[in-house]
This record gives sequence, C-alpha cells and structure tokens, in this order.
Amino acid sequence: MNVRKTAAVLAGKATGALSRVSGRGGGTTLPGDVARVIDPKILTRLTQDLTQGSIVITGTNGKTTTARLVSWLLEGAGHRVVANRAGANLIFGVTAAALNRAEAGGTLKADWGVFEIDEASLPRAVDEVQPRTTAVLNLFRDQLDRYGELESIAKKIERALGSLRQSAHVVLNGDDPRVAEIGLHLPNKPTWYGLEDRTVASKSLPHAADARTCPVCGASLIFDAVYVGHDGVYRCPNGHFERPKPDLAATHIELAGFDAVALTIDGTRIAMPLGGLYNSYNVLAAYAIARSVGLEASYVAERLRTFKAAFGRQERIDFRGRHLILVLSKNPAGFNETVRTAVELAHGQHFVIGLNDRKADGTDVSWIWDVDFEMLKGRAKSVIPAGVRAHDLAVRLKYAGVEAQRPQTDAAKALDLLIKTTNEGDTAYLLCTYTAMLDLRAELVRRGWAQPYWET
Amino acid sequence: MGAAILGNLRQMEKITVGWLYADLMNIYGDRGNILTLLKRAEWHGLESRLVELGRGPSAEMDDIDLFFFGGGQDREQALIYDDLREHKQESLTKSVGDGAQILAVCGGYQLLGHYYQTADGARYDGIGLIDVKTEAGKKRFIGDVVVETSIAGMKPHTLVGFENHSGRTFLGPKAKPLGKVIEGKGNNGSDRTEGCVQGGIIGTYLHGSLLPKNPHLADYLIGNAVRRRGGASSLSKLDDSQELDAHDWVLGRAQRR
Repeated sequence: MNVRKTAAVLAGKATGALSRVSGRGGGTTLPGDVARVIDPKILTRLTQDLTQGSIVITGTNGKTTTARLVSWLLEGAGHRVVANRAGANLIFGVTAAALNRAEAGGTLKADWGVFEIDEASLPRAVDEVQPRTTAVLNLFRDQLDRYGELESIAKKIERALGSLRQSAHVVLNGDDPRVAEIGLHLPNKPTWYGLEDRTVASKSLPHAADARTCPVCGASLIFDAVYVGHDGVYRCPNGHFERPKPDLAATHIELAGFDAVALTIDGTRIAMPLGGLYNSYNVLAAYAIARSVGLEASYVAERLRTFKAAFGRQERIDFRGRHLILVLSKNPAGFNETVRTAVELAHGQHFVIGLNDRKADGTDVSWIWDVDFEMLKGRAKSVIPAGVRAHDLAVRLKYAGVEAQRPQTDAAKALDLLIKTTNEGDTAYLLCTYTAMLDLRAELVRRGWAQPYWET
Repeated sequence: MGAAILGNLRQMEKITVGWLYADLMNIYGDRGNILTLLKRAEWHGLESRLVELGRGPSAEMDDIDLFFFGGGQDREQALIYDDLREHKQESLTKSVGDGAQILAVCGGYQLLGHYYQTADGARYDGIGLIDVKTEAGKKRFIGDVVVETSIAGMKPHTLVGFENHSGRTFLGPKAKPLGKVIEGKGNNGSDRTEGCVQGGIIGTYLHGSLLPKNPHLADYLIGNAVRRRGGASSLSKLDDSQELDAHDWVLGRAQRR
C-alpha cells in the first residue's frame, strides 16, 4: 500500500463530501485539486488499478454523449466503469471521478476508466492515464478567448497521440479535415470512421466552417458532401489530400427530430433514442471505440436502444404542461446543428436561446454571428433571447430577420415569459451555452420541476 | 419633387461592399459586420451588393465602395499574405485614392500597416496603406473594450467591442487614433489609443462583432459610401433601441467594474 496515495484519496473524498453537504455543487472537480496537491501522481496510480485500462475521448463537440454511450456499453457487458460523468473534463475532474470511486484504503476497484477530456488537456491526460483507446471526434472553432486558435490545439493533440505506446488504439473522425490531418502524421494507423449517406448531406459549407484548406498546398478544399460543420467528404483540388476512406462507416441514416436516429454500421442496424445528425457521429464513434476494446457488434446494437441522454444533452423536462427539451449549444458548429435539428427535423416552434459569457461559456460572444439563426425566420412562433448576453442575442436575431421577444437576462423571468408565450401541450426548445443552461436548470430545480444535475 | 420620383432616385443609390478573403479571414464573427452593413443599407432604402474577394485576381475590385478586412488564424493569414501583395495591394491603393473606404479588424488592421514583427524579431511587411506598425507582445490582450471615439459628430460617442490580440500597434503621425481607451487595452496597452483613422481607412482591434453593437459607426461608413456615389448627404433615422441596449449593456458592465 502506498501511504501517500491513501492520504490523497482520503483528503479528496472528504473534500467531495463537504462540497456536496454544503450544497455548493456535486464536488466534481475540487476533490481532484486537493488530492493532486498531496500526491501529484494520484491519477496515474489510481488508473493503474483498473483491471482493463482507460479510454479517453476528446474533440470540440460530442465528448459527453460519446463517453456516456461508451460507459453504457461497457456497463451493460458487466464491466465496472469509472467515468467523469458531469462534464468536468479537465485533469482535476478526471482525478475527482477516480477518487470518488476509490475505496478508503486507496484502491480503485473498477475495470475501465472512460474519460472525456478537454482538447487542451489531452497531452496531460494521455501522459497520466496511458489510455488503451483514444478518440478524437472533431475540431471546431470554439471559445477562442480560452483555447486560442484551432491550429495550436490540433498540434497539441497530434503530439499527445504521437506519444502513445505502440499497442494503443487511436480512433479518428476522418470526415473532419483537421482531425484527418492529425492522422496523417501518426506512427500507427488509426481507425477512421465517417458517414456514408449523401441523402442527409448538404452541398455547401455553413458560415461557421473552418479548417478547410489543404495541409500541403493551402488550396481551399472541395466538399462533395457536408454533414456537420466542416465535417464531410472533401478533397484537395490539386490531389494532395482527401478524406480518408472510413474503416467504419454509418450508412442508411434516418433522423427523427430530437427523438431518434437509426443507422447501419458494418451491416448492423442500430436505432436509438437520441436525435440529430450530429449524434450519428457520436454513435459511430462509440461503436468504433467499443469495437476497439472487443465488444461484439450485435451486443452494441441491442444495448444502444435503451440509452439515456446526459445532463443538458437533449434532456426532457415537463414544466406546467409544457414539454421542455434542453439542448446544450456552445459553439457555432454545435448551435447550427441543434437549431437545424429543432427547426427542420423536429419542426419546433418555441425557443429559448440562452447566451452567457462566463469563463465556461467563453467570454467573447462574437461567435453568435457565425450561427445561422436565419433558419428560425418565418418558422419559429416565439423566440426568447435569454442569459447574461440576451441583448446581444436580440440584436443577432433582429439581423437574422427573426421576430423575437424582449431579451431576458434573468432566468426566472425568461421562464415566466415562456409560460406566457406558450400553451399547455406545446414543446419548447431551450438551446443554451453551458452556464446559461445551468442558470435555467437551477430555476427549474428551484420550482421543483427538475432534479439537481449531479443526481441525474 | 414627388415621393415616387424620390423613391426611384434613392433606388439608384447602390453601394458595393467587398469582403476581403471572406473564406479565410473571418475568425471573430466578422460576418456580423457584413450582415449589419447589408441589412442597414436595406433599411435605409438603399440598394447594396456584396462581393466576396477571395484569393486570386478579381475584376470587381474597382467597383467596391467599402472594403471589409477581418482577422484570421495564423495558418489562414499565412495563406493570404502573398495574395494580398500580388492581387489586392494595387487596386486597394487606387480605390482608397478614389474615395473608397476600408474597415479592417485585428489581423486585417495589422496587414494594412507597415509591418508586423514577431517575438523572435522576424519582420513581415504589410502593404503600408496606413501609418502603423505592430510588434508581438508577450501577453495576449483579451476582454471587453470601451472606446471614446475621435470621429466628429458620432452619437453615442462611445464604441464597444471585444479584443483578443498579442500584437502591439503604434501609430505614426499620419494615422489618428480611432478613439481613447476607457476600458480594455486597445492598440498597445500603453498609450490608451485604440485603432486608427487615416483618410477613408479605419483599423481597429474591436470585434464582438463591431458594427452590430455600434450602429452609429455602421451608418457613418454607409453614409460615406452613399455620398461617394453622389447620393443624399444624410441617411434616414432607424430604430436602434435594441442595438443601443446591447451597446449600453457593455458600457454599464465596464462602469460597474
């Protein structure tokens, strides 16, 4: 037994308990801070206890859902899984998750660690947990004030993947040109995944697209199909670079709003209660990860049917006869997909759009001008701009030609207005940045309509 | 003169907006600036046209009344660097001489100056349309900015935005500051200046996007473009209460700090 490890685990656990008792949140990161001070190698020591090893998932969008899908699959196969479920995806959050499951003696009794990792934290996570499988889902423009430029993030990820041990698996979304570029330079061949269904593709890139030039000659890439953001089927006009042929492809995609998606992978039909084209990518990524650790295709398809979404990712809450669907939307690529799904697939008519500019949301809100809110024009019956930066959203919606309600910076007032502008039986979509979602949810909890998120 | 004839005359006033490297230099919601110019032109009863000016030669450079030049990531900025000199510099210089305007933000602002010097001393020449030079700084300036503008007759007299840059820009005698920094860092964090005005060129570090929350600056640019086409000397008054609420919200938070 390692005394330092035991002390770190005890101190971390005590911090977590205090944090929950004092009502200051779910204790999702602070215990990690405390334990790491006592033993900086605590995460490595704890993950070495895992009987099978770790899986690490990174990328701009879809980390939480994909990690949750993978945990769901492993747990259903009888594995004990430790995961950072609440979206606390910095190294401290991962440490806290491992601590939380460790016994008082300091041992982590679990088979798998499934960790979603912030893009910028990947090098540290790879170094400390030595994952068996690492997946990169996509790289979109996100919170430039916090992450810096996409290019520097991509280079960090490339270095981290290059440092993996020989036997480790790398699973990459080949439809994303910037992720594909990372894969070009890796010592081992990654598993590429991608969508193969032109019926759900559009022909042109959305305004928020980036990373669309050839890494060799700099020419603008030609897209033969666009699925989500700049993810699609692309090639360099001079023949230097093209979308890698997927080892695992999703075909015959059927979309039913936010309710369901069905697709075929490797001849296996998979239907699941999770909507939007972007979730086809998450399902496919989870499938690729599950296969890389030896789960059977038929088992995966069966188990996915009964999956439940994570906090704020298509969560459903009934509130005074209204059906609320909460969808986290935190950057242009993500927002475009949630708006598109709500408007075009689910035929949504009532919306609360929430924009905050706290640190976790990104302090720069200029990206809302890259979101195609024009999709709401003439289709939405009521749109309520909400959150700390509701006034900025109101201006954005005005220039999109969308007639919106008066901006509501207060979550309680935004919900009151929602009740006023909707009738019983109506469905309303709450598309919000991270802390704007927390604020609205806290108000729903205060009124007794939802559970605190760390209990879900 | 009857209203119908006046209406017809107004329709003759057509302004052309040119977006330099729309596909590559668009990092901080720069599309908001373009949308604001086009929508407001429409609301003022003007006809407007947008021309996206990508890499390579363009026959339409000479038609542009108002150029917009946004910021890009290092990778994209490197891709347009030679093209700017090869295919844009000459027409831009000529157009500005003929009364065309340029609004340049962040990377675009730096590239219009004399040079950008990196941390290790390498110097990248700009196209020298404005009398400014930029040197890399150690710390990135990130946050809200409030500026008291030097442009005469502008109401309100403040501009608000968000900055995110490590370049330190210094103005030469021919360039006047766009304004005085009330909140934030501005050009260089030391002399309290923000941006520059030189003839028909405005350079600035403000995005956010800049024009949606500063409709008075948008109308200043549109008004100049209309006059260049021989149009009315003043624009109609629009209801800007929502835009100014967003403007005032940023001012208010700066004051609370």
